[in-house]
Amino acid sequence: MQSSLSLSLSSSSSSITPKPNHTFDFSPCLTKPLNLNLRFCGLRREALSLSTTHPRVKLPCRRFPSCISAALSTNGSSPKTFDYDLLVIGAGVGGHGAALHAVEKGLKTAIIEGDVMGGTCVNRGCVPSKALLAVSGRMRELQNEQHLKSFGIQVGAANYDRQGVADHANNLASKIRGNLTNSLKALGVDILTGFGTILGPQKVQFGKDNIVTAKDIIIATGSVPFVPKGIEVDGKTVITSDHALKLETVPDWIAIVGSGYIGLEFSDVYTALGSEVTFIEALDQLMPGFDPEISKLAQRVLINPRKIDYHTGVFATKITPARDGKPVTIELTDAKTKKPKDTLEVDTALIATGRAPYTQGLGLENINVVTQRGFVPVDERMRVVDANGKLVPNLYCIGDANGKMMLAHAASAQGISVVEQVSGKDHILNHLSIPAACFTHPEISMVGLTEPQAREKAEKEGFEVSVAKTSFKANSKALAENEAEGLAKLIYRPDNGEILGVHIFGLHAADLIHEASNAIAMGTSLQDLKFTVHAHPTLSEVIDELYKAAKVNAHVSSPVKEPVAV
Amino acid sequence: MANLLNLQTTTFLPTPHSLRHTFSPQLPTHLRTTTTTTTRIRAKIREIFMPALSSTMTEGKIVSWIKSEGEKLAKGDSVVVVESDKADMDVETFYDGFLAKIIVDEGSVAPVGSAIALLAESEAEIADAIAKALDTKTPNSNSGSSTGSGLDTVENNEVPPPSPGMAVMEKEKEEKSSVSDHPASEGGKRVVASPYAKKLGKELGVDLRGVVGSGPQGRIVAKDVEAAAAAAKAEVEVAPKSAPVSDTTVELGKTVPFTTMQNAVSRNMVESLSVPTFRVGYTITTDALDALYKKVKSKGVTMTALLAKATALALVKHPVVNSSCRDGKSFTYNSHINVAVAVAMDGGLLTPVLQDADKVDIYTLSRKWKELVDKARAKQLQPQEYNTGTFTLSNLGMFGVDRFDAILPPGTGAIMAVGASQPTVVASKDGRIGMKNQMQVNVTADHRVIYGADLAAFLQTLARIIEDPKDLTL
Repeated sequence: MQSSLSLSLSSSSSSITPKPNHTFDFSPCLTKPLNLNLRFCGLRREALSLSTTHPRVKLPCRRFPSCISAALSTNGSSPKTFDYDLLVIGAGVGGHGAALHAVEKGLKTAIIEGDVMGGTCVNRGCVPSKALLAVSGRMRELQNEQHLKSFGIQVGAANYDRQGVADHANNLASKIRGNLTNSLKALGVDILTGFGTILGPQKVQFGKDNIVTAKDIIIATGSVPFVPKGIEVDGKTVITSDHALKLETVPDWIAIVGSGYIGLEFSDVYTALGSEVTFIEALDQLMPGFDPEISKLAQRVLINPRKIDYHTGVFATKITPARDGKPVTIELTDAKTKKPKDTLEVDTALIATGRAPYTQGLGLENINVVTQRGFVPVDERMRVVDANGKLVPNLYCIGDANGKMMLAHAASAQGISVVEQVSGKDHILNHLSIPAACFTHPEISMVGLTEPQAREKAEKEGFEVSVAKTSFKANSKALAENEAEGLAKLIYRPDNGEILGVHIFGLHAADLIHEASNAIAMGTSLQDLKFTVHAHPTLSEVIDELYKAAKVNAHVSSPVKEPVAV
Repeated sequence: MANLLNLQTTTFLPTPHSLRHTFSPQLPTHLRTTTTTTTRIRAKIREIFMPALSSTMTEGKIVSWIKSEGEKLAKGDSVVVVESDKADMDVETFYDGFLAKIIVDEGSVAPVGSAIALLAESEAEIADAIAKALDTKTPNSNSGSSTGSGLDTVENNEVPPPSPGMAVMEKEKEEKSSVSDHPASEGGKRVVASPYAKKLGKELGVDLRGVVGSGPQGRIVAKDVEAAAAAAKAEVEVAPKSAPVSDTTVELGKTVPFTTMQNAVSRNMVESLSVPTFRVGYTITTDALDALYKKVKSKGVTMTALLAKATALALVKHPVVNSSCRDGKSFTYNSHINVAVAVAMDGGLLTPVLQDADKVDIYTLSRKWKELVDKARAKQLQPQEYNTGTFTLSNLGMFGVDRFDAILPPGTGAIMAVGASQPTVVASKDGRIGMKNQMQVNVTADHRVIYGADLAAFLQTLARIIEDPKDLTL
């Protein structure tokens, strides 16, 4: 269910010269090793399943009187009572996940939302985009005569109704939004409507003049599409993902600026609906955030055979919307020489250069916090760090607003980690165990490090890296589905059997990755995983093959090194 | 995936300088620019071999060439994708250089260890490599002279000198392109083409600079490229009617020699004069057919397919109309009913064949038709797809033509010219006057074997089928 919005790799510690489009005007500070800015969005399972009864609902926790929490809150020096134990600013997937877990932990919880419930993911991100991708997948299948013929199926010409497709996306978003709102209400989370501003420690204003206090506060305000300088967005011919998801037009020719997750998924949608696509990518290679081998194969399957061309190593320095009978014009500048390179005229330009944190007006100056490129600085426990490098007590920031890993499910996981901490149990989230997926046809998914990242780390820390690979061509189920194009790749340590990363490109890759991400989260070693059993014939045997192909030298199963948080 | 390439260094014999000179003008301009190389003692050309990607692999299929001929390669670049028994693998080069010549094309299979391409160390050596490739293709040739003949072959096969006809066409295109005014084309200096148009141009070998765009603001779109490719490459099998008049500007008062295509048309037309033909016409009411078409259109059925199907079903009952007389002494009742349909292309005429149109169901027939038209556009029709017709259909109805007659293609028994279906005031036998859609058909037949009564009976059957078309969709 999780899915993508966009990805950008802010070039990790290494000194790659050109930067992706969306970062080119940023100073390259704040890049930590392995800081994959996976701008991406997803919805946790709970968000969906909570419309039905869930064990958590039965917990009587929210009935705790607030004085108890106040007593818990300090060592007694401030006997103040609070309106809430936990206040979350922003009701996106991250805030929702945090609130649900807080209720389970017995905290009196409120959530502030100034816009629509559900945030980017539910309203303008992964959820509606999945609706469009569901259509594009079916269109692709029905249009692929050869593929159908190989099944012995005969189908007439497939066609679609644009409004119908757009309605499906819109209906899905409102349905999920309803589910999410209801799940919060059912658990007794107070939904406070209005824009939230931090007035001081433990004090927040929302709406015009409502002030609430809370023992702990989580900032979960998310992000908005990032539009680089020089690009004029008119919402009709020069658009961002916000507009594209409404599918108001299907242009003949659309230029997509940025070939990360957002761009790639939209290229899948638009080409299936009949558009021709031109990618504009600042780096020298398309799909820069992915493992190189995966992006090479993906390009062969998702780009080359489709009606797509591309310009790499160029910035779209100026984009003017269509007006006065003139098409959209895009000025391309060479990323290295900074000289004008080309001009494109297209029907529509989609800006998919990543996402920028939405933290303005949050009142961070009241608590002496300075954002970095808009992101709220946090430590590994999501505690907010102020201008002097000191922790701000009782204040946390999760999700896109902190920029650690811009994925909906990452935000939710961070929220849960924070709730664990405020309810008295230390917790550090291992970001290397958070999977990511791109819902093209076929899908791409990944967890952990890419091969170059793993090799870099290995060199620094002095261990060996091995890679195991398997093809979907060897999988019976994939062959039965006539979808044998695909690759799965396991990067691991042969000395202790630790999984460093798994990358999959192929049918249902997004669903297959979790076995690997769970193994990383649990610290299970390959020696043990080799003995797990997978039903035959299923696609999951692709993972089984990877595990079995891994050659681990350690004979005894030894505990894997502590996962490292990033 | 680092599958190394088995590269073998071969010392190539220096070719005579003069030979290289005759050759270099054939190279693309960007290569030619660097031919001012210093004197070389020997050229270094490496062969790229089919690698063994697994212990069990004996041969590999080339899935695709990632690099194209003339492209620069750096060590570690993927050059080719090879399909082994298990997976597609990228094959990388261990040497810098230029991909001089691809010996095994995409989709072909080569045994492990055989050369699949040649790698030249410098651009200047590409010519040598190509010569070498040709050399290896002609095993009984030896050194100097053979290289020379190899070069001749290249000149003849790969770069045919433009025929006068082509030159005229190109000239026309240039004139046209200067007329198109895409705001960004800067008076034709820049090419503005959609991504798919560019891709098609590359695939079909169409130079987009000479293509006139019909898209928004004069942008070149896929169909422009297809039309250009068809115009350049179309072959003519039969020509019962001339190609639609194009509105191109021609130089008045100038005599222009026939193109290959026009020559073929001319030959066929003259040959048809040796056959004694006659014509029989018939008016058919199409209300029921039109209604049926409306119903099945959404399922991808075309009017062409419906007409072909109806004709085929009528031919089943009149085998003599489906016969052919070649020597003037005997004739053959054809065992298959293959309906050829004349298709006008930009500057050409083709007759793709719907084989066994009587047996194939209408939906399959429609799909087959679409496939044939697509192939015809991409000039990929196989001979059996355009020269096995036993009966020809020619339809000018879409241009509003109400009746015409066609010239019989040599080697077939009959051709039917179909006019437009038009609302007509009709008097019925019971004295009423009504409006009906009617079309006129006119069959031209070889009177040596098909007589007037045969055609009359055939047309009666056809009219009955079209006026009560329920059998067409069975």
